[in-house]
Amino acid sequence: MRDIILIAATSMKNNLRLKIIIAVSIAVILLCVVALIVAFCILAVAPAMEAETIDVHALKVYLTVIVYSSCLIGLGVNMNVFAFQTMTREKSRGNMAALLATPLDVRRIWIAKSLAVYLPGLILGEMLALISLIAVNYVYFVPEVGFLFTPWMAVSGFLAAPLIYLGLSLLVHLIGLTGKPATGNVIVQVFLPVFASLMINLGVHNVLDAASWPFAVTNIGVALTIAVIGVMLRSRLTKERIVLSS
Amino acid sequence: MDAAIKLENVKKTLGRREVLKGISFTVARGDIFGYLGPNGAGKTTTIRILLGLLRTDSGKLDIMGQDISRSETRKRIGFALDPDGLYDNMTAEENLEFYARIYGLSDYGKQIAGLLEAMGLSDRSKDRVGTYSKGMRQRLALARAMTHDPEVLVLDEPTAGVDPSGQMEVRQIILDAAHKRNKTVFLSSHNLDEVQRICNRIALIDRGEIKLYGETETLRRGMGGGKVTIDTAGDIPQALLDDLKKRPQLGFREFKNRTLLFSPQEGTDISDIISILAGRGIKIEGAARQEASLEEMYSAILKEVEPS
Repeated sequence: MRDIILIAATSMKNNLRLKIIIAVSIAVILLCVVALIVAFCILAVAPAMEAETIDVHALKVYLTVIVYSSCLIGLGVNMNVFAFQTMTREKSRGNMAALLATPLDVRRIWIAKSLAVYLPGLILGEMLALISLIAVNYVYFVPEVGFLFTPWMAVSGFLAAPLIYLGLSLLVHLIGLTGKPATGNVIVQVFLPVFASLMINLGVHNVLDAASWPFAVTNIGVALTIAVIGVMLRSRLTKERIVLSS
Repeated sequence: MDAAIKLENVKKTLGRREVLKGISFTVARGDIFGYLGPNGAGKTTTIRILLGLLRTDSGKLDIMGQDISRSETRKRIGFALDPDGLYDNMTAEENLEFYARIYGLSDYGKQIAGLLEAMGLSDRSKDRVGTYSKGMRQRLALARAMTHDPEVLVLDEPTAGVDPSGQMEVRQIILDAAHKRNKTVFLSSHNLDEVQRICNRIALIDRGEIKLYGETETLRRGMGGGKVTIDTAGDIPQALLDDLKKRPQLGFREFKNRTLLFSPQEGTDISDIISILAGRGIKIEGAARQEASLEEMYSAILKEVEPS
């Protein structure tokens, strides 16, 4: 565990010094999240609040989707930017070969590198989810129906979305380290827009009740599926594969 | 010979290509071992095997009498690879601290300060490595290799891309590591002059096979006594030139511009040649002997194995 923390902390320190890239990433994330919240509020929340009878359950669904999507965007954009960049740089500049030549275990290096990309996104995603939860509540709901919050909303927004990206980070790093980082990057690039729009639509159109357990359980199921794929591919993770693919 | 590194009949195939075709050599403790070969000969693959980055298909590899797959064995090796694998956005000090902690060192402050001082990097230790010149990076990579005070150093082209003064500094660091810090050094290089200057033992690999292996001096002597040139005052009669050709130990090669050129075999001294010429009444104005260089050995061997 000490090795994992050491490598993850050092990689994060190295990444966080890329100030221009970080500034651009945060700007993109904020832009996306604000656009999403504004669009949702104008198109769904505001009309629902103006209806003769306020449907509190529908409001909870919208809020869950907003909170969940905010977290997903924070995690997704962060991973889009850093997973590919870090793996490509570290493989081409010999950082990875140097680490592998030390007494460290290859699986610990993999986990540490995955965490180094994941953790900043997690912090950002959770913060955005929390801010969007509080902002939408105080702007729209508190004056009329009070502060809206459900345990399933918390599970979907603050637990399931991060779990999906934890699995994805491990999977993408495994693929990128043992093969071409670009392959892992394609997965990350495609996953965010496709998966987020799918889940938002399923939630908003009540195919999966976003304010209740089906939405949360589906998301946890997706996270587990990604984790299982990662475990199945784990045997590919050898020093030889990593070195020869560099 | 007390072996630090021992390879016995090591084979490795990558894809369809047999990169190492059963190579064997031993690096004794305290050696500075030069590993030479053209591009694609198998040098990098050998280094990767030595560091446990690639597995052998067959054969045996021991480092300090232990299997390289053990993490304890890897703790006994320091390395400087090409590319160097330093973190550009971190300072020299941070890079060394990171590796010190990887190797489980706790009180590493003095060790790191000492290494940075020895490498002449103390005044730039707080600067990011991305701002360093190639020579400074190589010195830092050597410092990193020695952070945990390993017994064996594996260095891949440590002077590649470094300017001449930087090369001299790096060479001195390697010599100090071997002589003052008692390290065994495995040095892969394209720079024959460098290898000749600092390595006491060499191996030459070409197309996955060791073509030459042994002590640098012994090998150089075995190649013959180098070149002997003798300047004469006038022309040489053809009969004498024919006579010189009939004595293979002299290794007579040519007579041009009143200068005789010989490549004498081992045991033949310059005085032997001079006495033959003087005995035949040839007036000699000057004589010089040039030792065989590693470069000549290298080209001669690679020429031998070139396909016709």
